[in-house]
Amino acid sequence: MSAAPGSIPWLLGHELRLAWYGAGRNMSGKRGRGRIGMIVGIVFAAVMHLVAFAALRALGHDGMNDGFLAIPLTAVLVVCATFMLSSALTGCVTALFERGDLDLLLSSPLPSRTVFAVRLLGIAAATATPYLLLAGPFANVALVLGHPGWLGLYVIIGACAMVMACAGMLLTLALVRLLGARRTRVVAQVMGAIAGALLFLLSQAYNLTRHDGSTGPWLLGLLANQHVFGPDSALWLPGRAILGAPGPLLGALVLAALAFALTVGRTHRFFVHGLQQAAGAGRVRARPADALRFRFRGSLFDTVVVKEWRLIARDPHLIAQVLLQLIYLVPLLFPILRDNTTGPALGAGLALLCGSLTASLAWIVISGEDAPDLLLSAPAPRRTLQLAKLAAATMPALLLVALPLLWMIVHAPLTGLLFAFSISAAVLSAGLIVLWTGRPAPRSDFKMRAKGNFLSTMLEMTSSLCWGGLGWLLVALATDGSTWMLFASAAVLAAGLGVMVVAWLLRRSPM
Amino acid sequence: MNTASPALRLSALRKSFGRPAVDGLDLTVRRGELYALLGPNGAGKTTTLRMVTGLLAPDEGNVDVLGIDLARDPAGAKRGMAYLPDEPLLYGKLKPTEYLEFVAGLWGIRAQDAEPRARHLLDWLDLTQHAHELTEGFSRGMKQKLALAGALIHDPELLILDEPLTGLDAAAARQVKDLLVSHVDKGGTVILTTHILEVAERLAQRIGIIRQGRLIAEGTLAELRARTQGGSLEDVFLQLTEGQAG
Repeated sequence: MSAAPGSIPWLLGHELRLAWYGAGRNMSGKRGRGRIGMIVGIVFAAVMHLVAFAALRALGHDGMNDGFLAIPLTAVLVVCATFMLSSALTGCVTALFERGDLDLLLSSPLPSRTVFAVRLLGIAAATATPYLLLAGPFANVALVLGHPGWLGLYVIIGACAMVMACAGMLLTLALVRLLGARRTRVVAQVMGAIAGALLFLLSQAYNLTRHDGSTGPWLLGLLANQHVFGPDSALWLPGRAILGAPGPLLGALVLAALAFALTVGRTHRFFVHGLQQAAGAGRVRARPADALRFRFRGSLFDTVVVKEWRLIARDPHLIAQVLLQLIYLVPLLFPILRDNTTGPALGAGLALLCGSLTASLAWIVISGEDAPDLLLSAPAPRRTLQLAKLAAATMPALLLVALPLLWMIVHAPLTGLLFAFSISAAVLSAGLIVLWTGRPAPRSDFKMRAKGNFLSTMLEMTSSLCWGGLGWLLVALATDGSTWMLFASAAVLAAGLGVMVVAWLLRRSPM
Repeated sequence: MNTASPALRLSALRKSFGRPAVDGLDLTVRRGELYALLGPNGAGKTTTLRMVTGLLAPDEGNVDVLGIDLARDPAGAKRGMAYLPDEPLLYGKLKPTEYLEFVAGLWGIRAQDAEPRARHLLDWLDLTQHAHELTEGFSRGMKQKLALAGALIHDPELLILDEPLTGLDAAAARQVKDLLVSHVDKGGTVILTTHILEVAERLAQRIGIIRQGRLIAEGTLAELRARTQGGSLEDVFLQLTEGQAG
C-alpha cells in the first residue's frame, strides 16, 4: 500500500529513493562498478560482524552484562555525538544553501511543515547512517549471543542523530537570524568543523599544561568524592540505554521525539524564511558605476594564482574542510612552544599534515577547476597554467609552517633544515601527484574526492608517509647516528621517489 | 596571420564517440561574414565547434583558424578567436571585474588595452552596477552577457558562439544580436549555432546545415530556398533534414 501523495511518509519515500540513487552513484559512479560497490559493502558488513563477534566473545557473557560497560559506552557515544553534530551542521547548511529540489517542493501546495519535517528526518538519517553501519554489527552479534538488550544501540544512535540534527538545525537557523544568511554559511561550516575536532582539541589541552601530574588526579578525585563517576551515576544513562535498560531507552526516545516535534512545530516557518534569505546570499549590494576598479596583473602566473586564492577564500565549505585540517595541525605545535623541544615525530607530523593540506588544495585548484574549457580555449601556455596552479596549491601550506620552521632553524639549525626539507618534499610531491593523476570533478565533490580517485589518494598518502618518515629518520639520525637509520632513510627516500615515478607514469592529459 | 585565408577552414574533419559524431566535414567560413551552422539535435554542431576551439582533438582532418593550422600552432590559432559555449564558462565566486581580469590575463592582454575595453563592455552590456557582485547570484541572461564580455575582451577576429541566445530575455537577446552584427560590420567573423531559425534567417549571410556529422546543404538563404520548395528557413530546414532522414 502506497502512502497518500503529499503526506510525510510519501515525501519520505521520495527522499529515500533519491538517497538510494545518490548512494549508488557515490559508490559506483558507473553502472558496471555498482556491483563491485555492493560486493565491497557486503564484505565490509561481514568483516564488521566478525570483528564484533571476536570483541564480544572476548568480553564474555558476564562482561556483556556488566554495568561498568555503560561507562566506556557512554564515552564512545559522547565522542560520536560531537561528530554527529558536525555532520548535522554540514547537512543543515547544505539543506539551506544547496537547495536541490527544495524550490520545487516549496512552490508546490505541500505544507512547509511537511517539507521541513522530511528534510530534518533526512538530515538525521544521513547523520546516523555511518554509525549504524559501524555499530550495528555489534548489536546483531549480541542478539545472536543471547543479549537482545544490545539492540538498544540502534535506538540510541537514531535518537542521538535526531537530537543532533535538531540542534544543528536550530543553531543554523539562529545564526541566520543573528548574522544573516551570508555569514551563517561560513560560520556554521566552521562551527561544524570545530565540533568535529572538539574532542581532539580537548584531548590535546593536556599538552598545553605542565606535566607535573597534579591536574588530572585532582580533577578525578574531586569528581569521585562527589560520587559523580560512580557506577550508578546518571552520567552513564546513555551507556545503560545502549545495553537495553528500558528506562533510559524510553527516555532517549522521548527526548528525540520531543526535539523533533518542537523543532518542526516551532521553526518550520523560520526554515522557509531562512531559505528565502539564503537564496539571496550570493548577492552583495551594488555599488555606483564610478567605483569600478580593475587590477589587471602583469603576468599570467600572478593572474592564475590570485584567481585560485580568491575562489578558495570565498568558498566557506572548502574553508571549513581545510580549517578542520588546520585544527588538527595546531596541537602539534604545542609541544614546541611548551617544552622548547623539536623531536623527530613533530617533523614527521608536520610533513604529513602539510602534505595532506596541499593535496586538498591541489585537488580544489586543479581537479576542481570550474571552467576547464575556458583554459583550454585560451592561448595561454599550459605549462604556465600548471605551474601557477601548483604554486597556488603549495604556497599556503609552506606559508603556514614558515614561521615555526624559521623558529626551529634558529634554535636547532640542523633539525630545522631537515624538517624544512621533508616538509617541502611532502608539499611538492602532494601537489605533483594531484597534478599528474587527478581527475576533473566539480568542487562540490571535495569531500568525496578519495572515493572518486582512489589511486591518486593512495599515492598522496604513501608519499606523505614516506616524506614524514624520512624527516623523522633524518632528525633521529642527526641526533643518534645509528647505521640502520642511514639504510632506513635511504630506503624511505627511494620509496618516496618511487611513488613520484609511479604518479608520473600514470599521469593523465592535464587540464 | 595570413589575411587572404578564410576565417575558418575544416578539411575532412572526423570525430567518433563510438559512432561518428562528425563524419568527414568540409567547411569554409569567409572572413567578415556571419555564418550560421544549423542542424537537428545530435547533428554534430557542438562537437564541431569544440574541435575548432581546441577543446576536442579530431580523429582525422584539419582545422585552420585565420590561416593558422590549429594542430601545429594552437596558441596562435586561439589568439584570434573567442568561444562562447551554450553553458557560460564562469566562476561563481568571482566578480565580473575579476572575471574579466582573469580572461584578459589568459589572452595576455595588456592592462592599458584591457581596462577601457572591460569598462566599455560592462557598461554596454548593462553589467556595471553588478560589477561587484559574485556571478553565482546572476540570472542566466546576466551570466551569458558576462561570458560574452569575456569572449570580447581581447577583441577577437573570429567569434564562435554555441546557442548564444538561450535563456536571454528580449532586451538581452537584442543586445547580443546587435553585437554580432556590429562585430561583422567592423570586419570580424561570427560563426553561430542556433535552434532559433528566425535568428539565422535574419542575421546570417550564409547558412550551413549539418546532419549526422555531414554538411548536407550550404549557401545563402536564397540559395537554400532555390534548392527546396522555398518558404521560410524553417520550411527549408525541415525539408532538408527530414528529406534525408531514414
